[in-house]
Amino acid sequence: MSLFWFVIRQLEEIEAMATSKKVITREEWEKKLNDVKIRKEDMNKLVMNFLVTEGYVDAAEKFRMESGTEPDIDLATITDRMAVKKAVQCGNVEDAIEKVNDLNPEILDTNPQLFFHLQQQRLIELIRNGKVEEALEFAQEELAPRGEENQSFLEELERTVALLAFEDVTNCPVGELLDISQRLKTASEVNAAILTSQSHEKDPKLPSLLKMLIWAQNQLDEKAAYPRINDLATATLEDPSV
Amino acid sequence: MPASASTHGPEDLIGRLSSATDGEAKLKALRELKNQIIGNRTKKFSYIKLGAVPSVVSILSSAVSGYGDGYSNSLLVQSAAAIGSFACGVDAGVKAVLDAGAFPHLLSLISHPNDKVVDAGARSLRMIYQSKLAPKYDFLQEENMEFLLSLLNSENENVTGLGASIITHSCETSIEQKALSDAGILKKLISLLGGSLSQRDASLEALATIFKENPKAISKFVGTESGRALSAVIELTKDKYPRTRLLACICLIVIRNTFPCYLQDVGIKTKLILILLELLDDPGQVGDDAAFALSSLIAEKEDLQKLAFEANVVDKLCNHLRKGPVQAKRFQGILLSLADLCSKLESCRSRLLSLQVLNLVTDALIHDSADVRAAACICLKSVSRSVKNLCAGHFVNEVLIIRLIQLLHDTSTSVQVAVLGAISNIVVDFATCKSTFIQCGGVKQLVQLSKSMDSTVRVNAVWALRNLTFLKDNRCKEGIFLELTVSTLSSLIHDYEPSVQEQALALVRNLVDGCIESVEYVFAEDSLILHAVGKQLQSASKAEVLIQGMYVLSNVASGKEFHKEAVMHELFPQAGNSTQSIIIKFLQSNDSRLRTAAVWAVVNLTFPSSPGAFGRVVKLRNAGIVSQLKNMINDPCLDVKLRVRTALEQFTTSGDGST
Repeated sequence: MSLFWFVIRQLEEIEAMATSKKVITREEWEKKLNDVKIRKEDMNKLVMNFLVTEGYVDAAEKFRMESGTEPDIDLATITDRMAVKKAVQCGNVEDAIEKVNDLNPEILDTNPQLFFHLQQQRLIELIRNGKVEEALEFAQEELAPRGEENQSFLEELERTVALLAFEDVTNCPVGELLDISQRLKTASEVNAAILTSQSHEKDPKLPSLLKMLIWAQNQLDEKAAYPRINDLATATLEDPSV
Repeated sequence: MPASASTHGPEDLIGRLSSATDGEAKLKALRELKNQIIGNRTKKFSYIKLGAVPSVVSILSSAVSGYGDGYSNSLLVQSAAAIGSFACGVDAGVKAVLDAGAFPHLLSLISHPNDKVVDAGARSLRMIYQSKLAPKYDFLQEENMEFLLSLLNSENENVTGLGASIITHSCETSIEQKALSDAGILKKLISLLGGSLSQRDASLEALATIFKENPKAISKFVGTESGRALSAVIELTKDKYPRTRLLACICLIVIRNTFPCYLQDVGIKTKLILILLELLDDPGQVGDDAAFALSSLIAEKEDLQKLAFEANVVDKLCNHLRKGPVQAKRFQGILLSLADLCSKLESCRSRLLSLQVLNLVTDALIHDSADVRAAACICLKSVSRSVKNLCAGHFVNEVLIIRLIQLLHDTSTSVQVAVLGAISNIVVDFATCKSTFIQCGGVKQLVQLSKSMDSTVRVNAVWALRNLTFLKDNRCKEGIFLELTVSTLSSLIHDYEPSVQEQALALVRNLVDGCIESVEYVFAEDSLILHAVGKQLQSASKAEVLIQGMYVLSNVASGKEFHKEAVMHELFPQAGNSTQSIIIKFLQSNDSRLRTAAVWAVVNLTFPSSPGAFGRVVKLRNAGIVSQLKNMINDPCLDVKLRVRTALEQFTTSGDGST
């Protein structure tokens, strides 16, 4: 966060001078960067937040032991959440639903859209496995009532059932429903819902911080030449191009 | 391997629930049931019908008493979860759960040593407390308040959430609000504002419940830590979670509606409007509730309506309607918000009309949901306050009128009342609307409704008839009069509800207004109506009733000699009676409108060119009217002052010169 505010402050200073493009040398820049104090604990918290949200439970456990950073959530719940996510990713949707319900029965009871998407994914898996009759029965028994309750569900249901109408599903207009990406989409929706039910943010903080950095740099580019970070993975400062 | 729905029918599953003898088999059946009903309303209904709930509750109760050979904790968790799911969003489920006696068992789980059991019990109870059917919690009993405090002090967030839900559900009266705030609950709820997501939401809802029409609790809250608590709620309107933002807005709206001096800042008012607009985009319940919150924010507050207009709210709401089928609840909320916006400001009405969404509102008149139909009527009523657009015939067409008349037959009373309101406005002053309305048989239906058992329906029906007779030519008035009949009209004048009396008298006032023939209506059937008016003037106490009655007499007194004498007779029923005439009482009224109406009657009675004026002048003078009028020569109401002068001049002209 502090880095972001630092860049913003730079921006303001430069704006106040209202000159043409200012050049900031690497030396000046590094000197200013050194003045910014970032607490180690805050950095660690950011890392822990990333590991927890993304579900790297082993890494989080190790990191906790090594850095002494306490996660803001019971690590055991991560294992459960990951098991749900994995089940959806592998196409075991029914299993995933049961696991979510064990975790917290409120999630699917109070989240009709997510429940519908999981049921839809179940239907997609039945169609993928060629179980046409079972798929039709499932659509009629389980999904049709949801469609009656909600117009947009009905449209999505129609799109999904359309898969049955094509001989070659991979090349049909709704073929993307059979893509792995559809499973990933559903999996991440479940993941987010579980996180929310645990009062945890559904996205890690780190990526948005990096987005802010890029935004701030782009703003600064218009006013000044300065040592930019182009490679986010290594965070090396490039020499300002004049 | 989990069993799927198709392998075991519901009857089979219920059979296994009640017949399984060992814990493991029971647990398996319970989980299966739970996984089938979660998220699935249809299944909930069918299992409730098949009587699954009592079987589940009996598993719960035997597990509470220790049964379960090592499975008892799991049985508690699974049965509580299944019960909670039955109660979630389905009132029939809540009823079944309560009837089966689950409540005390669930309550006992709160003090269970196992955390998972506590969680499951608290969640289920919270689901039950979200329904209107949940039993009311008695805060006024000391041990109950202690238990509530212990819930709110719990480490377990499901339990604190339960505490807040109990408040939201059960706190209704100001005594209960006071008891809660005296017991230190406010402080506890404020601390929960800094808690987890679910605690924050539950706390915001409970706070709003305690604040409702309770200025004391609000001042206490606003004063807490020099406004830090209020700032915390304002901060939550920017929260990441839509539901939290909505609940924070609702909390602030309750504060503002109860205590208008808070949150006067234009910035925060605009912010509330913008946040609610944005929340309308939420596809779920948050979006539905946002529309209602917006309506309660702007209702009857012109400053907020102006701000909303400037923030383009009319356009945005209309866009939501245009986007295609809207869920009933949201449709209702949007229509009500539009109605509030158009209730006072002509700019909003014109904007709405220019956006051409009126056909959507007209379609809403035949919506399946009675709430939507009523909301559409209320919206039309607001829009039709635009005299400019009504005159220009901008939106009244035959389809609309026919639909409105059809709604007069609606099975829902609230729809009938709402449609009468809309009709009252639409027929008020515009020849084309009136004739269409009459041609389509609207009068007959209004007359029917004027005999309704429901006094709100009755008053609105008479109101509509009153507006229909306003400035109407005599032929049409005659049609209305014949339909209405003398006896109905006089019984409406004698209605036990003063508001009905007022509208009935106003209707008569309109009937006898205009050409001289129309005065004859009150003389039909041995002057039945005129006598009814006179009687009401002698006995009624509500100023509004008296005003309308006096105007009837004024209008009649503008007629021929015979008419004027009849009015005199109503004002002075017994010749030679020494008691004070009602007209003196009215001239002395604190209500300037009643004084105006009374002076008008005197002016019409003493109009100089009519032959009997002299006799009436003498009679009025003897009754003390002239000296009363002289006292009113500098009446604070300009209208009264002016008429008093006219009256006194007429006394001089027609009189014996002794003025």
